[in-house]
Amino acid sequence: MLAFGRTPDGVGIGVRLDAGERTVLTEVVDQVLALLSDDPGGTAEPGHEGAASHPLDGLRMDGPVEAPTDPALHRLLPDASRDDAEVTAEFRRLTEGDLRATKTGNLSLLRGLLDDARPDLVIPVRDAPGVAAALTDLRLVVSQRIGIRTDADAEAVYTLATTGAAGRSDRVDVGAVDSDGSAARVFLATVYVVLSLLQESLVDLLLDDLPLDGTEGSSPSDVAE
Amino acid sequence: MTATTVPGGATGTRTTAEAETTSAPGDDGWVTVVWNDPVNLMSYVTYVFRSYFGYSQARADHLMRQVHEVGRATVSKGNREQMEKDVQAMHGFGLWATVQAVEA
Repeated sequence: MLAFGRTPDGVGIGVRLDAGERTVLTEVVDQVLALLSDDPGGTAEPGHEGAASHPLDGLRMDGPVEAPTDPALHRLLPDASRDDAEVTAEFRRLTEGDLRATKTGNLSLLRGLLDDARPDLVIPVRDAPGVAAALTDLRLVVSQRIGIRTDADAEAVYTLATTGAAGRSDRVDVGAVDSDGSAARVFLATVYVVLSLLQESLVDLLLDDLPLDGTEGSSPSDVAE
Repeated sequence: MTATTVPGGATGTRTTAEAETTSAPGDDGWVTVVWNDPVNLMSYVTYVFRSYFGYSQARADHLMRQVHEVGRATVSKGNREQMEKDVQAMHGFGLWATVQAVEA
């Protein structure tokens, strides 16, 4: 069973991956990185974040950033309001570039650690929260592609992965998966479960390091402006 | 949410009934709401509430269960700018959060 543990020297968190697991994880990371760099509207301008807060932004014809049409990308960059389109649009215009950069940074971090895995994937403790967030984004994208909409769907995916693993295909493609029970679907279910096992074991270790009583005095939301 | 494990014992000292952040009066009429989804692990949601907000294990666990069982939980309260910062942080963690004005 794949699970992260502390490295013997105590400076990191590691897991043994075989070459196939490393290849598949790398491929999924690359596909989600490509998804995040997708910019159909031409409105995201990395490196020009400062322009987003220009006082005349409201007058710019190209100001609005449209919500992603791909449901997986939309899940990574969700709406900030369920009922107020104006709040959602302004939030997206001001923050989407930064959010894409955060997620791209976390995924690139994991990509680099996978490149260095010989054969253990070792995460320095300080990088572990970023990797946990990256694993979340990978799971969110795979879950969208495989059609997880409810808790029951998620359980069905676990069952599919554990009972139908004989139908492995050679590669994963989070961009196009048949909705019927193909080998690709079983394979993607297996990828989802592997990502879940990795994330769960990593989060368990991260929770061990947090104080049970919390640190609320320094919570950002509790600081009076 | 997905519960492949139940988080460990809730032994924090804060009362779990205290569901909302106390904050100064003024324009603090906004809240951050986190919504349930079938993907995020219960332990990860608890981890996010503890690590980002600095909430105790007991309080974070209470809020996580509210998300899981009720479908949503108010996780912070303050002015709009601060709530948008919290929402952006939640999105960075992969949780689906929204900002809302509190009904007067």
